[in-house]
Amino acid sequence: MFDVDLFPLRLSLQVAAMATAICLVVGVALAWLLARRRFWGRELLSALVTLPLILPPTVLGYYLLQVLGRRTVVGEFLEDTFGIRIAFAWEGAVLASAIVALPLMVRSAQAAFENVDPSLENAARTLGRSNVAVFFTVTLPLAWQGVLAGMALTFARAIGEFGATIMLAGNIPGRTQTMPVAIYDAWQSGDAALANALVGILTVTSVLSLLVIGRLVRLPAGRQG
Amino acid sequence: MRSGLPLLLALVALVAPACGSGDSGEAPSTEGELLVAAAANLSDAFDEIGALFEAETGAKVTFSYASSGLLATQIEGGLPADIYCSADTSYVDQLREKGLIVPGSELVYALGRLALASSTKSGLALTELSDLRQPEVEQIAIANPQHAPYGRAAEEALKSAGLWDDLQPRIVYGQNVRQATQFVESGNAEAGLIPLSLAINSSGLTYVLVDDSLHLPIRQELAIVAGTKKEELARRFVAFLTGTEGQAVMEKYGFVVPKEG
Repeated sequence: MFDVDLFPLRLSLQVAAMATAICLVVGVALAWLLARRRFWGRELLSALVTLPLILPPTVLGYYLLQVLGRRTVVGEFLEDTFGIRIAFAWEGAVLASAIVALPLMVRSAQAAFENVDPSLENAARTLGRSNVAVFFTVTLPLAWQGVLAGMALTFARAIGEFGATIMLAGNIPGRTQTMPVAIYDAWQSGDAALANALVGILTVTSVLSLLVIGRLVRLPAGRQG
Repeated sequence: MRSGLPLLLALVALVAPACGSGDSGEAPSTEGELLVAAAANLSDAFDEIGALFEAETGAKVTFSYASSGLLATQIEGGLPADIYCSADTSYVDQLREKGLIVPGSELVYALGRLALASSTKSGLALTELSDLRQPEVEQIAIANPQHAPYGRAAEEALKSAGLWDDLQPRIVYGQNVRQATQFVESGNAEAGLIPLSLAINSSGLTYVLVDDSLHLPIRQELAIVAGTKKEELARRFVAFLTGTEGQAVMEKYGFVVPKEG
């Protein structure tokens, strides 16, 4: 038995977790907006949010580099003012994963919100609850299954993100080399033993993650109204 | 939200270490660590040299291998490499023009050779370039000439030998020389024009040297990247690479090491 460097696995799990957390906050907000509000540009916003689902990851990676690369206006500002580096850093891997997975979260959550009976929300409002309270105590709990499903999809997509990640974060062993990138690297080097080991680990990890999340999603179906 | 709590806790558990330990790529946790952007043909040789350097100095060297052109593009985009080891001189020139290398740090550290290789599995006996015309050779792998100097040399060699036009339909491009080598090793391409440095240690390949008069000399140049915070350690690595121990490894992988006066 030979020892496999587990850094890529740890990095992939952390990147996917952070991307899921970001998508949870941003995605739920966007989903609620799209489900509950009518406003000018709503269709356009919906299309933009869905775009990463359709665009090839290399296109996304290219755009991200052009906008957030270290020698761009935005990139230099972030680095000089806040010390945040996106390109060729693990933050870039998180951002790339979050962007490609966002549509999955939004679509799941939006469908869930649209299924919440508005009369329940209105009832809460007539009882004196503020809009924010209505969201957290009525809307979100009722839509929670959909949001959880969105999180599961987001996590899975984030763990498997490759194209945009390798462009934006690069392939730096021990710093930005996620599992999919490490597998690609091992295959390219002709290291079949390492490639097989990494592929096996990632497959098992992904299946386990989905099983765990699926179990949590299917827990007390409870309060449906 | 009872069913959500365990999940959220799991997420937090995963995320927290990443936040707490700060960053995996900034100065404090990578003190005494070099990032070398190295052309793909150097992967076998540099892995060895890196290990020797670490044993001697305690400083860890991380290599990011890719085609020279891709690395140049990444460095222009801000790749935080300390040293750039190209497979030619043109990409170093490109970076110098953009002010991205430390002036005067350029150094030709090796001369490369091109090899004609086939996988031992294929049973082909290729002794010279014209053997590639055989119908059994259905795919010929080379690195993409657009951004890989050895790919460019392969194209030059085939053109000089008058074979390029006939063989072009059979040529497959690897993103870099490692990928091209992998195509040949796996038998997906029956033959390939790859660096000697990758063919020499490969157990699954048989190869012959390509006559180097058929292409421009492959002069591999390195430079220290401007803005590096580890210039002294970088210079130590370059000295190690061009010193006796480094040279010995390079020669083992078929490189000709220019002897400075």
